[in-house]
Amino acid sequence: MPLISLKDVSKLYGFGDATTVALDEVSLDVEAGEFVAIMGPSGSGKSTLMNIIGLLDRPTHGEYTLSKRSVAKLRPNQRAKVRRDRIGFVFQAFNLLPKLNVLDNVALPLVYKGITPVKRLKRAAAVLERVGMSDRQYFMPRALSGGQIQRAAIARALVNDPQIIIADEPTGNLDSSASLVVMELLSELHRTGNTILMVTHNPELTRYADRVVYMHDGGIVHDQRTPLGEVPDMASRAMYLFPRRTEEDDLAGVSAMMETLPDKTIGKPKKRRAVRKTKRTTTRTTKRRTK
Amino acid sequence: MFSGNYRTALRRLRSSKWLSTLTMFGIVVGIVSVITTVSLGEGIKRQVLKQSGHIGSNLLTIRPGKIVQRDKNGSITKVNPALAYGFGNGSLSEDDIKVVHKTGGVKDVSPLSLLNSGVSSGSDRYDDSFILGTDYLFPQMVQQKVEFGSYFSTGEENRQVAVIGKRVAEQLFKENVPIGQSLTIRGQDFIVRGVFDEFGSTTIGQGIDLNKAVFVPRTMLNEVAKGSTQLVQILIRPDNLDQTPKVMNDLTANLAKAHGGQHDITILRQDENVMVTNDMLTLLTGFVASIAAISLLVGGIGIMNIMLVSISERTHEIGIRKAVGATNRQIRNQFMAEAIVLSLAGGIVGVVVSFFVNYMLRITTNFHPFITWQVVVIAAGVSIAVGIVFGTIPAIKAARKDPIEALRTGGF
Repeated sequence: MPLISLKDVSKLYGFGDATTVALDEVSLDVEAGEFVAIMGPSGSGKSTLMNIIGLLDRPTHGEYTLSKRSVAKLRPNQRAKVRRDRIGFVFQAFNLLPKLNVLDNVALPLVYKGITPVKRLKRAAAVLERVGMSDRQYFMPRALSGGQIQRAAIARALVNDPQIIIADEPTGNLDSSASLVVMELLSELHRTGNTILMVTHNPELTRYADRVVYMHDGGIVHDQRTPLGEVPDMASRAMYLFPRRTEEDDLAGVSAMMETLPDKTIGKPKKRRAVRKTKRTTTRTTKRRTK
Repeated sequence: MFSGNYRTALRRLRSSKWLSTLTMFGIVVGIVSVITTVSLGEGIKRQVLKQSGHIGSNLLTIRPGKIVQRDKNGSITKVNPALAYGFGNGSLSEDDIKVVHKTGGVKDVSPLSLLNSGVSSGSDRYDDSFILGTDYLFPQMVQQKVEFGSYFSTGEENRQVAVIGKRVAEQLFKENVPIGQSLTIRGQDFIVRGVFDEFGSTTIGQGIDLNKAVFVPRTMLNEVAKGSTQLVQILIRPDNLDQTPKVMNDLTANLAKAHGGQHDITILRQDENVMVTNDMLTLLTGFVASIAAISLLVGGIGIMNIMLVSISERTHEIGIRKAVGATNRQIRNQFMAEAIVLSLAGGIVGVVVSFFVNYMLRITTNFHPFITWQVVVIAAGVSIAVGIVFGTIPAIKAARKDPIEALRTGGF
């Protein structure tokens, strides 16, 4: 029985005519100890998939079993506890609390576990040592470089000894040398038995993974196991293989919408296409804003 | 866990000093105004109590109007504060004085007639004063000393002499001992022959400042004012203290008979006078304090407002906290703690400021406000309550935020 098991999981946003499909009946099994890299263009549903696996989001349809337990019916509090104890998040935008120093940031998950201050700071310090940040414990996040912040964020993800690490483009905001440090860290975690799911745009980074999943338009289009240290052909070509969106695409999407607007009796396939296009444009704009 | 929340909250308040100070300001103002009004009332009550011990409890006053209701044992069950304040009018007449004299067990009787009129001396006027027509018994009735000069005696009922309160001396004559000077009432000159010692605030009833009064012989006043005077009180001392209840009953019965069976006058013992005064003060203080409490409400809404702003500013933070495993309840507690710390801090500052205001009032005015520990405890409790009441809605709002939505907004 796999650690993570998704069966026909869909995520829809909105309803009626405005429904957009973020995930389209995705099925995915991840065994404990796997390092899965997930690739795909923006808007292909990678982040939504991560959020659902990380219990930040609920699927609209489908089954999600986390180590033999169905999590669909968990109440918000129970989901929070699962997040706290079993899942560590690493975000592209780091997401440390700017008003707390590095040590307090790393100790934050322990606060919610109800661990006493002294104990939790000790444990946080130990984890910071592990990621090579013990000399920066009392720095505020804004005083650190991107690479250092991301290492602190990884330390925070590790502090509860989670089984699963979910990293959503952990190197997206880092230069290549900082990326390397972060990836080495993740790789080391993988060696010590953590299950890692990582979203990335950089094909080079797939060499750290032992499995690469390609997504497009809310579905998994390709799933392959690769030996560690090798970049699969697919990955380096992924950017070219799968249709990429350009400005022309966006414009085409808009004109497709314009066509459908005056005529209320549109055929189904045409409408669906129009809907898809809108979805992509919106996700892209939000993406831009967050950057 | 919970104490950790309060520590975090305190740190946050310290990190945004201006915001916290301004938010607390509303609570501070509310607490200060409530504590100050209550302590003023308390101060006056204490002065009244001191005064009543000084006069002794065997003085009876007959006052017009039904001020109190009594049960069968003669204990007061209900007070009508509107009538208790100041001089009442109507319903007492010269005939009543005769009835009182005829009642058995009465030793001394001293009626008070009021002429509401200012006084003048040459070209100077003093309009705040009022004129009381009494007889020679008055000073010993209320046990008040004449500080300078002397009071008029038995044979002087028809002489145009006056004894004045301290304020009159200060305001009208601009000197402390204006003995021998004359003042004019209704065109008639009266010679000042005495100045009273400072009267307590409630010698013969609440709202009557005898320091502003001019005392003249009653017969003379009635003659000068020709029907404009009002018989406002009759002061009585019974033969002995044990007789007091019986005398009161007899007086009540006799006067009711004289008034055609109508109970339209009130007889009060001196200690009851104090009680009536206190009742009235409590009511008045409560009323003013509740108006002051409105500013507390406004302060609370200020806190709610700031919390709502703070929550929408910190949506991203909430998202992060939820992502690392905070439950809704933990987020809610965090924001509740912040609101409570904010309002409690306001409450504490308010109490400190109140003590300062109290001190300033004591040295700059005649009031002697008194802050009881109960008021302080209640103020602290109320400020915590304000934090809870006005922190709940924002905290629930914060706790209910969707983690993904929250993570997507803002960030650094």
